[in-house]
Amino acid sequence: MKKAPKVNEVNEFLEIASDFEDPLEVIRESLSNSYDAEASEIEITIRSRPQGSDIIIEDDGNGMNERDLESFFDLGNSRKTDSIGYKGHGTKIFYKSDRIVVNTAKNGVNRRAVMDNPWEKLNRKELPEYELTETDVRDESQGTLIKITNFRSGEGFDPESLTYNKIHHYLKWKTIAGSTAHFFEDDPREMDIRVNLGEEIDDTRDELVTTSRLEFPDEQLEPSDDEFPAERMCKHYEPREIEVEYDGGTTTVQIVGMVGGKAARNELPTHGRHSVQFGVWFAKDHIKVEQINETISHDNEFIHFFFIVNCQDLELSANRETIRNKSNPVFRAVRDEVEFYMSKVTQDPWFKNYLEIRREGKLKRRARTQESSLQDRRKSVTERERFEPSNRAEVLLAVERASQQQAGFSLQVEDYQPDADIQAIVRHQGKLRNAAIHHQLTEHFENESPLEHIDLIIYWEQGDPTKLNEVERTGYIGGEIEIDHDSGSITYQRDGESSYIELLSLADVFKPKTKAIADD
Amino acid sequence: MSQVTRRVDFEVDAVAGDARTGTLRIGSQELETPNLFPVLNFYGGGTERSVFGGGIHRTIKEFMIGADRIGGGDYSEYFDCTMTSVASLTDYNITHERYQSYLDTPIKERELFEPYNGTLFVDSGGFKFLDGGDIDGSDFEVDIDQEKIYEIQKKMGADIILNLDHPIAPDDSHEQRMEKAEKTALNIAEFLDLSSDFDGARYLTLHGYNYSMMDAFLEKITSIVDTREIHEAFDGVALGSLVPKKDNRELLIQAVTDCQEVLQDWGFDDMPLHVLGISSRAVPLLAALGVDSFDASSYLHNAINGKYYKSMMESVPISEVSFEECDCPVCSSELHRKRMRGDAEYQKDIYGAVAVHNLIIQKRELATIRDRIRAEGTAPLREYIESTVARDKQTRQVAHKVVNQSLGGYF
Repeated sequence: MKKAPKVNEVNEFLEIASDFEDPLEVIRESLSNSYDAEASEIEITIRSRPQGSDIIIEDDGNGMNERDLESFFDLGNSRKTDSIGYKGHGTKIFYKSDRIVVNTAKNGVNRRAVMDNPWEKLNRKELPEYELTETDVRDESQGTLIKITNFRSGEGFDPESLTYNKIHHYLKWKTIAGSTAHFFEDDPREMDIRVNLGEEIDDTRDELVTTSRLEFPDEQLEPSDDEFPAERMCKHYEPREIEVEYDGGTTTVQIVGMVGGKAARNELPTHGRHSVQFGVWFAKDHIKVEQINETISHDNEFIHFFFIVNCQDLELSANRETIRNKSNPVFRAVRDEVEFYMSKVTQDPWFKNYLEIRREGKLKRRARTQESSLQDRRKSVTERERFEPSNRAEVLLAVERASQQQAGFSLQVEDYQPDADIQAIVRHQGKLRNAAIHHQLTEHFENESPLEHIDLIIYWEQGDPTKLNEVERTGYIGGEIEIDHDSGSITYQRDGESSYIELLSLADVFKPKTKAIADD
Repeated sequence: MSQVTRRVDFEVDAVAGDARTGTLRIGSQELETPNLFPVLNFYGGGTERSVFGGGIHRTIKEFMIGADRIGGGDYSEYFDCTMTSVASLTDYNITHERYQSYLDTPIKERELFEPYNGTLFVDSGGFKFLDGGDIDGSDFEVDIDQEKIYEIQKKMGADIILNLDHPIAPDDSHEQRMEKAEKTALNIAEFLDLSSDFDGARYLTLHGYNYSMMDAFLEKITSIVDTREIHEAFDGVALGSLVPKKDNRELLIQAVTDCQEVLQDWGFDDMPLHVLGISSRAVPLLAALGVDSFDASSYLHNAINGKYYKSMMESVPISEVSFEECDCPVCSSELHRKRMRGDAEYQKDIYGAVAVHNLIIQKRELATIRDRIRAEGTAPLREYIESTVARDKQTRQVAHKVVNQSLGGYF
């Protein structure tokens, strides 16, 4: 006995519609449908309503006959074979609403299809139906108007979060509005696109008008004459068609792209971080699908690149967000070929020169910062009354100065290791002694440097006396400590062992001596 | 200064970017460039009966002369040039008597080697005799100096010779390099005196990894030998010391590029440039940069390791090879297919056949490279590199670099 597996239609509809959450996806699907219907103009209007959003899509495309309308509402029953929406999933996004009205004119017949409460019915496990009415019309006008009432966005995809900027970016990055077909076809199909958002969503402009072409910013091969010389540099890489052999056949890859600095990239409708927008995009139907940045070797930041690789033999996931089956031979062969192509781009002398100019710009800016900080430092040197160390190395210089300038001061640094706990070996009064060097005495205790094996602590000044008092009060690394400021020494006792450490404050050495008043 | 009529001539007939093809004429000998000198030991311990021995070298020589042991045949087109080193005489622990018998007749004047009519390059063996070595036989020692080296080169009947040099090592300090340059310079002075009646080509050895090192080397040399004399006496330049770096393609390319710049600045750029001891996979890139000749032993070393060339870039273990796919004379011979499959009395007959197959692959690729250089524009050679060296991930970057530098780039 043969048995056919069953499909639960309602659940399938629910499942597919639930995959789409973002109202932007409505825009993407509508644009694709209108493009497939050879429309030359499309207008999309979105209004925010308390229950969801109202979306109106109007185009001057070929319109739909009864069979087309069936495909529009049916699942997995697309009539299209070589066009964008061949899976028949796209329009099911509209089911997440309270009402779908389709008005379409084709060959002198006007058809109106109305579906009420599709989302509510699906959730009630009921398959929604639509009412179709046909009327003859005299004029030859054709086109389609789709009205979706109360479209339910997913969590976090409220229509209020839409802005013209965000939509513009989305159009160019994720829809047919960012098509790269025109780079490869002599007479590509073109579509004028208008998007109109309700004032409650974005009132910064009346509407967004664009076309179905992705255009790169103008080339600028030479650096600019300013602080950021590479920022506006931009080079276009001519469209190339490459035949790629894979295990089982051949496919064609179409690559076009640009390399550019931040300012050049920002002339595109970017939105948010450049890292999620630039690099190498794999595309199908000339619509970008997924970034495959591993095709650029890791030492070249992919952010400088914007390359679109179109291949009609790529398999996409149902929502067109990712490439499906990355282990298949087509994808692997295409990826390898693109990696090869990108290796040529990254070795292009222009690109290397661009990176070099960028690096030089950075170094020049750093030099300028250094210059101003040097000016500050020189000013403070000129203005201060005496030499005053501010770090350990300068404390060492103070030791040398004291040896030269202060009568009776006899101390030479013989060895210095900045990273050691006991940094220096000094010759003091003819003997070699182990010395810790600090700008302030308190640093020794803050660093928890040991006191064993130290003969001498040399510092400029003692620092916060209360910190030293606390060390005395609470003990230090399991031992008792006593700091005698008068005699300039530390006594440290731990585990029955006692250490005596001499203290040398250089600030005191340099203190102006009060002249003895003649006692006459 | 040289008093002989120059019998050496180098003529460039086509260029593609920096790459060039030409003809190197030494007496009646003509060699198309760029070309690869396979390293071969003519004397490997044996007697004339065993083609002077040398294991795998013996089998290769049998191919070279079409000996009966390898089933005859004419392989001479693949032996249009060879490189042998004076130093190879130290490898086989020979007796003094045999040493003398090796040198009593020039290689190409021996009846045995009569079928061989290729250009013979005899290296000075500087890399082996570094800092005063000697030829160490079983019952004798020969102290090696410039005079001795030249005597051996001449007795072997060399067409191209090098002065005795002191190659630098990657870890040498500046002082050590300068000391070696000085020793080399003194050898050069002596070499030019000794070889003034030599009627073959004399190549000047040049050492360094970058422009400044090579420039410092030439400064040192010309402080001892007059620049004009160097220019007049030498017929070519051989860039050395790259053996320890031969797998670092980036460095190899940099060294060769800098070398050409130095030669240009010193006015030596009209001479043919040879790069000593490279890995054969670098050949297409070096040719693209404009190097005229190179020598490599990889064809036989790979064979000894059981590697069979599918192309200049790809080798496979011999056990995985179906010899029918190759139309070279070695693989077309039933006898050699049998031997390469392991059915041979001696290992040398298995690996010797593979080595000659490998050599043929290299030689054929070089012929292709020359054709591409001779074709119109830089595109044919660029496409060749793009489809060969650049496809290998290890050499891809450096291949692109060469294309950009020498062949006008991709974009």
